[in-house]
Amino acid sequence: MSDLHAFSRGASGGEPPWSRAAEVTWRRCRAMVGCAAPIVPRDARSAWEAEWLGELHHRITALDSAGMLDARARRGLLIRTLGTLPHALWVRRSEWRLDMLLQDLAFAARTSCRRPAFSLLVIGILGVGVGANSAMFSIVNAVLLRPLPYPQPERLVYAYGAFRGGNQASISALDFLDYRARTRSFSSFAARTFFGTVVLSSGEPERITAPAVSANFFSTLGVRPLLGRGFLPDEELAGYGKLIVLSYGLWQRRFGGDSAVVGTTTLVDGEPFTIVGIMPPVLARTFPDQAWRVFPFHVPETSVRRFHMLRGIGRLRPGVTVAQAQAEMDAIAHRLEAVYPEDASWHLRLVPYRDVVVGNTGPILLVLLGAVGLVLLIACGNAASLMLARATARQGEMAVRTALGASRARIVRQLLTESVLLGSAAGLVGLLLAVTLVRGVHAVAGNLLPRMSEIHVDGTAVAFTMVVALLTGLVFGLAPAIHAARQDVAMAMRGLGRSTGARRAMRLRDALVVGQVALSLVLLVGAGLLLRSLWLLQRVEPGFDPRGVLTAQISLPTDRYTDHPGVERFWSGFLERVRAIPGVERAAATTMLPLAGGGDTYYYMDGHPPASDADKRTAQVNVATEDYFATMRIPIREGRALGPEDRLLGSDTLGHGTMVISEGMARRLFPAGDAVGSRLVVDLGRPFRGEIVGVAADVHAFGQGVEAPDIIYFSSHQVSSFTDGRVMSIAVRAGGDGGRLAAPIRDVLRSLEPGVPLANVASMDQLLRGSVATPAFRTRLLAGFALAALLLAVVGLYGVLAFSVTQRTREIGLRIALGARAREIFGLVLRRGMLLVGSGMVLGLLGAAAATRLIRGMLFQVSVLDPLVIGGVAALLAVSGLAACLLPARRATRVSPMAALREE
Amino acid sequence: MPGRPNLRSRPLSPSAVAVLRAIAGGTRHGFDIMEATGLPSGTVYPVLGRLERGALVRSRWEAPGTAQREKRPPRRYYEISAAGERALAEAVEYYRTLAGGRRGGAPGGLAPKPQRS
Repeated sequence: MSDLHAFSRGASGGEPPWSRAAEVTWRRCRAMVGCAAPIVPRDARSAWEAEWLGELHHRITALDSAGMLDARARRGLLIRTLGTLPHALWVRRSEWRLDMLLQDLAFAARTSCRRPAFSLLVIGILGVGVGANSAMFSIVNAVLLRPLPYPQPERLVYAYGAFRGGNQASISALDFLDYRARTRSFSSFAARTFFGTVVLSSGEPERITAPAVSANFFSTLGVRPLLGRGFLPDEELAGYGKLIVLSYGLWQRRFGGDSAVVGTTTLVDGEPFTIVGIMPPVLARTFPDQAWRVFPFHVPETSVRRFHMLRGIGRLRPGVTVAQAQAEMDAIAHRLEAVYPEDASWHLRLVPYRDVVVGNTGPILLVLLGAVGLVLLIACGNAASLMLARATARQGEMAVRTALGASRARIVRQLLTESVLLGSAAGLVGLLLAVTLVRGVHAVAGNLLPRMSEIHVDGTAVAFTMVVALLTGLVFGLAPAIHAARQDVAMAMRGLGRSTGARRAMRLRDALVVGQVALSLVLLVGAGLLLRSLWLLQRVEPGFDPRGVLTAQISLPTDRYTDHPGVERFWSGFLERVRAIPGVERAAATTMLPLAGGGDTYYYMDGHPPASDADKRTAQVNVATEDYFATMRIPIREGRALGPEDRLLGSDTLGHGTMVISEGMARRLFPAGDAVGSRLVVDLGRPFRGEIVGVAADVHAFGQGVEAPDIIYFSSHQVSSFTDGRVMSIAVRAGGDGGRLAAPIRDVLRSLEPGVPLANVASMDQLLRGSVATPAFRTRLLAGFALAALLLAVVGLYGVLAFSVTQRTREIGLRIALGARAREIFGLVLRRGMLLVGSGMVLGLLGAAAATRLIRGMLFQVSVLDPLVIGGVAALLAVSGLAACLLPARRATRVSPMAALREE
Repeated sequence: MPGRPNLRSRPLSPSAVAVLRAIAGGTRHGFDIMEATGLPSGTVYPVLGRLERGALVRSRWEAPGTAQREKRPPRRYYEISAAGERALAEAVEYYRTLAGGRRGGAPGGLAPKPQRS
């Protein structure tokens, strides 16, 4: 019926023509009808259009011929024609209508604004839950979900050296070259030294991490230099190329981001190195490196198959799996083993690079995400409970709406719109909270988590938050909405439905409280277990006295300290001057400071060499100056400490070397207790033959949660070949606070060696705290979540009881009128409350028994069903529950029977 | 289901009652019904659609010849059915009870508003 549009009075014969105003109005109205028409389903469209145009035409003609088509009438017609849109939408889909949704939204906004306290409470409760979830998700997303920041990151594979004694070792340079030459699985296979620091000595000396890498390291990762270039294949073969590539951070900080530095030289360990390139910041996300040197293959120092110093990183060819690559590498390992005896049992262990970066944080983060999800669930329970209470109060309103023709679906939709609106508002609050929380995590967690720099509230997190907020609105709104829609209209209208409907609502709220108590118990038990673990962990005696000890690291330049006597002279002179600083009690230097790493070697009992390499025992090596035990206050259990008498350099070759071993090692090696006087042969690059002169107490050198390692102590006077003593940590014990000693110690060092930095300055307490930082961090987070859960559950319980007292005012008044005493009324409310708490606790215990399995791996000397923790948590919940009951119970006893009866 | 005439499940909406009353009173065309009830076009037409689906009203198009002679599009008009008359009577009774037997019959707002030009 498109020809309908042609109708116009202008050209008609009999009737007087339309005025110009009528023509314009007709055209406009017709255009509006034409705009809405496409919404109408095709089969109904022409009839729909015809009806509108017929009416409009008739009306315009009537008004025009009566001379009444003034501006107001024209406007009225246009406004009326706007009705084509809802009409068309209605025809399209008569149940769901946009205008209804808008109406619902406007209505929801109005009702929410009319009760600001209620709305703000709901938004606040949910906002906290959503915000915590959003923050936790941001962390999980950055650490676990988001792919690594390199091209095709799924093809990157990390390679450890593995042998019978361990699978996280390094790879020797010669082995690496063989693997690289033979592999077909990798399109590129690169290497990086696991350690490596250098001193930048132009300007203020500074120690930086600068591992050496194979020339293809950057191209394997798929990272192009920002400026200049990376290393060239020839450069790794050309001996010690004096080349350095700077990280973006170092370039910015130390070279002011000046692009002219590329091609210039800078002093590295006292030697001029050419800066060949600057790398983009992306590498900092997975590597702590500040600069890179090229690894020198084919020089004597790196051409020993026994020296394992590299970690591999490879890029798989497209379509090759890690398992296939592993099989190929195993085959190569077998061939190498057949040729080189020192490769016995050595092979590569390939791990997806992502797993190496993420490390063992996955389970912890997922547990925390689950915990924060429970908090949100509890918050939803609270909000639902509040909505139910309000629904009971709004019963009359709903009954009237039903009576006036609102369908159940319409009422449910109306109420859901309200809760979703509140949920969305909570989403916005939560987003703000999440940004704050993530900032807080950055401040608190430092670099406890991998990929820390990638953690921020990004688009994904915003989308996650909004989805969670909307779901939250649905979850906490659905039960109250359905409940409200089930009202019996006639009964409710006459005010009779209140008791039955209210009772049903009450039951629902009771169930919600039970659920909240149960969930918070689960969280509290989890937090309790972690707290107790942390407490036990921190109570482990470290084996030394950390209080008042300041530590730092000093590395002497290799060019001027070439022999042992020179090194010796430096240390004795330096320590002498440090001891002279006022406030210093003792000072010592060691190669193996507790909690600052270590290195092990093989040994055997003199006269009993092992039958094969596999039977070798290993122990940590600690070369220390003579004052070490006294400075650290490590008790000597047997024999004596190392002293000036252990001076003879080279005496070990004569068999006159001396050593002290740790207690656990002595107990295991010499069960008869004859350690002192026995002799060991220790592999210090060459066999060191010596006598055990003392047994020192065990030291938890790798952290309080890790078993104390076997340690062999040597005198720095005697052992020169192990590290040459050029890199040592110092420990300085002060009478009081050791921190203020850093400046005078630095002055002493500067007076002796102006180009050498005092690195890694930290108090022993700080190192000790740092070693438990990860468990402390996760414990604090979980404890925070659990407390939030407890608070929400208690508030929920309080709300339910307070509301029930209000609802039962009449009953309570009647009881008091009939002679019930205050104590009985008090007990009535208390019993009800504690019944809810008790049921929740029983449910929660079942839940906890299942859920705590997830954190078993994070516990330290605590079983998942630790009676102390469970008892404590139960007591805490009971007391909190009791506290929540007190106020409503007290109020119940004060109900005046007369007032209660009059109220009805 | 829109426009179900089953009162036991759900009464007619107030706007449906108003529209039905207007049609029963002899108003036949969409725009006239708007004027008679004071309801906006976005309400009246969906209500008419629902009533028609519920067979409470019938609609017809005027004879095509008339419109063609007058060079204008044909108009649609509505009539109340017998079922519509019953439903209207029941609905009026329902709202009267709801209002608690207040005098004046149908609750305020349901009475046709004075016509405006």
